[in-house]
Amino acid sequence: MSTIGLIAIGAGLYGLVGAGVAIGMGMATSHAMDAIARQPEASGKVNSSLMIGFVMMETVAIYGLLVSILLIFVLGGRA
Amino acid sequence: MIEVSIMPEPFYIGSLNVGLSVVVSWGVIAAIILLLLLAQKRIRNFTELPRGLQSVLELMVGALHDFARSQVGDKADFVAPAILTLMVYVFATTFIELFGLPPATEDINCTLGLGLSAFLLVNVTAVRSLGLRGRLAAWTKPSAAATPIRVLTDFITPFSMAVRLFANVLAGGVIMKLVYMVVPIAVPAALGVYFNILHVAIQTFVFGMLPLLYISEATE
Repeated sequence: MSTIGLIAIGAGLYGLVGAGVAIGMGMATSHAMDAIARQPEASGKVNSSLMIGFVMMETVAIYGLLVSILLIFVLGGRA
Repeated sequence: MIEVSIMPEPFYIGSLNVGLSVVVSWGVIAAIILLLLLAQKRIRNFTELPRGLQSVLELMVGALHDFARSQVGDKADFVAPAILTLMVYVFATTFIELFGLPPATEDINCTLGLGLSAFLLVNVTAVRSLGLRGRLAAWTKPSAAATPIRVLTDFITPFSMAVRLFANVLAGGVIMKLVYMVVPIAVPAALGVYFNILHVAIQTFVFGMLPLLYISEATE
C-alpha cells in the first residue's frame, strides 16, 4: 500500500470524530428538550447551557477536521 | 491540488520577517481607531438621551455589559471592556477575509496571543476577587487528589481557545477553496455569506463567551 493511501485512511478515520460528536449533540438536545417540556419557563437558561455545550462539542469536531486537513495537505503534500 | 499551509505567511521589512498577520492586525487596529475617532467627531457631545450613532454604540456596549453581568455578576464592570476589545479584534481581523485580505486569525501565533490574553484576564479577575491564596486554594477544591487535573484544565485553556479559533478559520478557508475548485460559480457566493459573516459572528461570540464562562467558574 502506498504512503498516500495510508495517509488517506488515517484522514478518513478522523472523520469518525464526527460520529462521537453527533451522538453527544443528540443526547444533549434530547435532554434539553425533555427539560424544556417539563419546565417551559426555564427554556432560556436551558438554551444558553445547551449552546455552551454545543460549543465544546463543536471544538472536538473541529479538532478532528483540523487533524484531517493537516494529514491530507501537510503530510500528503510531503509524501 | 490546493495549497494549505499552517506555517504563518511571511512578510519582510528589509530582511526582518515580521509575519503577515502582524501587519494585517496593525492595519485593522489602525482602521478601528480611525473609525472610532470619526465616530467621536461625529457625535461630538454625548447626550443623556442617545440619538443616531451614539445609540448604536451604547447598544453594543450595553448588550455586552448586560450579558457579562448575567454570567459573572458584579465583576462585569472589570471584565466587560476587555471582553468587548477581544471580540472587536477577533471579529475585525477575521471579517476582513470578505474583502480579500488574509485574515490575521489564520495564523496560530495570533490566536495564541489572544488565548493568552484571555487566560491573563481570567486569572487577574480571579485573583482580584479571591486573592492569590483563594485562587490557589480553588485547585484543591473537591479533594487534593484532583489538583493535577484542575491545574491542567486551567493551563490548557489558552491553547484550547487558540486552536479552536485557528482551526475554525483555517477549516472555513479550506472548505471555501475546495468548493471553488469543484463549482466555481454561484455556490461559493452563498457559502461565502456563511463562512465570512455568520461563522465569524459565531466564533466572535464564542471567543467572548468562553472567558466569561471561565471567569464565572474560577470565581464562584
